[in-house]
Amino acid sequence: MQAAPEAAGASIIGLASPCNLRVIDAAALDCRPALAVIFVAVRIFVFVVLALIPPAFIGWMVREGHRAPAQAAAPAGKVRPSGAEADKILLALFQGDLGGAKVKDKVTLYDEKGLFDSIDGAAPIFIERHFRRQAATELATADGSDVDCAVYDMAEPANAQSIFDAEKSATAKPVTDFPDAIAGSMSFVFRSGRYYVKLTAFDAKAEAALPGLAKALKGKMK
Amino acid sequence: MSSEERPSPHNPVPAPQVRLGHQAATSDAAGTDRRGALRVGVTAAMAIGSVALGLGLRERGSNKKTRALPTIKDHRADKPAGATDMAIVRGPDPAANVRKAIEALGGMGRFVRRGERVVIKPNIGWNRLPEQAANTNPDVVAEVVRLVLAAGASKVWLTDASVNTPEQCFARSGIEKAAKAAGATVIRPDASAFREVNVSGKLLRTGDVLFPIVDADRVINIPVVKQHGLSLASMALKNWYGVLGGQRVKLHQNIHVSIIDLAAMVKPTLTILDATRILLANGPTGGSLSDVKQLDTVAAGTDEVALDAFGATLLGLNPNDVGFIVEGMKAGLGTPQWKNLKTVELGG
Repeated sequence: MQAAPEAAGASIIGLASPCNLRVIDAAALDCRPALAVIFVAVRIFVFVVLALIPPAFIGWMVREGHRAPAQAAAPAGKVRPSGAEADKILLALFQGDLGGAKVKDKVTLYDEKGLFDSIDGAAPIFIERHFRRQAATELATADGSDVDCAVYDMAEPANAQSIFDAEKSATAKPVTDFPDAIAGSMSFVFRSGRYYVKLTAFDAKAEAALPGLAKALKGKMK
Repeated sequence: MSSEERPSPHNPVPAPQVRLGHQAATSDAAGTDRRGALRVGVTAAMAIGSVALGLGLRERGSNKKTRALPTIKDHRADKPAGATDMAIVRGPDPAANVRKAIEALGGMGRFVRRGERVVIKPNIGWNRLPEQAANTNPDVVAEVVRLVLAAGASKVWLTDASVNTPEQCFARSGIEKAAKAAGATVIRPDASAFREVNVSGKLLRTGDVLFPIVDADRVINIPVVKQHGLSLASMALKNWYGVLGGQRVKLHQNIHVSIIDLAAMVKPTLTILDATRILLANGPTGGSLSDVKQLDTVAAGTDEVALDAFGATLLGLNPNDVGFIVEGMKAGLGTPQWKNLKTVELGG
């Protein structure tokens, strides 16, 4: 019976065959099984391509770095502020009295990716230590000198201690009555809690103002 | 065959769902054909659309465009027979060190011809004073501007894509003031200063580059020698990071290769390595004078790999341990064996 192969061809592939049913004859019907195989193959290929698109796209995103940043675990029993809260606390460090200094323009926050735009190749040693945010700004001292100020929120005190130890200049000296602080020429660096702070002066007057500024900042970190 | 398909006096044609009669079969088959064709068409359109979308998104993110973009020309000058390859000069006056070094190489006329447009690329990346050694010494830069103009250049641009706020960097470094006083046109890296070019590197395919690098006839690189947290050192080859706009995070994922991608793109006419003061720790930003060492040295030449190998020794590094020096040699940009070149050492 001729109807069976036609029926099979139509029902399997769901396609219009080049063999028009209106002019079906015995010879034309002979080509249907071969065409059916071809169309089945095409259909399978199309569906394989479609099936591969989502995993390929996800793979591409992973390769390009669209990953959630790794988070350092908070110590047991301690609640770490959320990102927005921590940012608010970080920005609040620059409000009010800063030992006579004030923010000249604005405070810029940098995250893990943005840190390269702030400190370029120095960024990885912070990121390795679970850096969370950098707040960078220029301060004006009471007598009009400028101080470059960078406060790094390292998420945990241990991370801040680690970067403080890693960046300690061999010739920098500890500061009396200021634990976890070192003073170099034109520079004052300290750690307090989860914060690591680098202050850089641009003249002698600003250099003289650095300890007072550091104390004011540290006072706000409690 | 089911009983429904069997011929009977009331139903002479079997398989009713396929052939209910000539007319009926024709219209049903045509309907099936249309539905089938529609399904295949929609499926194929979805597949093509999905692939196109994926490719489009990937293209945008992966910086692998192959559009027709300008390529930066080779800025190198021909080397006269017997000319010195590298000059190292030590002395207390940075400007005098530059003059002596260029003179030892055959004079600025070897590199710059009358009427040419020249771009000078110091390191002005940081909001730092000259004493803090994060940027190129302004006296070195100003002397190069004077020598280039004296050689007959019609235009001298000075530019850099600062990491910190450009206004602060250009002012605090002292370079803007010194270069302007010497006759240079200072180009700060605002949005209009960049032009997209072909980098054709291993990692970087295209990039937004400061326009004087594209337009100039000659390019002079004036890096400072300093320690760098990620690449160990920042000197001549690394200084080309400062011609590129956009976010820097991608560059640092394979820093040595991307350094060489950019260095291979620019191919400068002349390089003057500033080691008047070098930053030994906490680079590239620095800040503390405790990390700075005064060496009162300037080196000049045309081989950036050789100059960087020499600079690495000033930082106490073995050039073979510095990834981009090794990669630069492999890429044919020069040799780390600077002592094998025709080198002149003066002063000290």
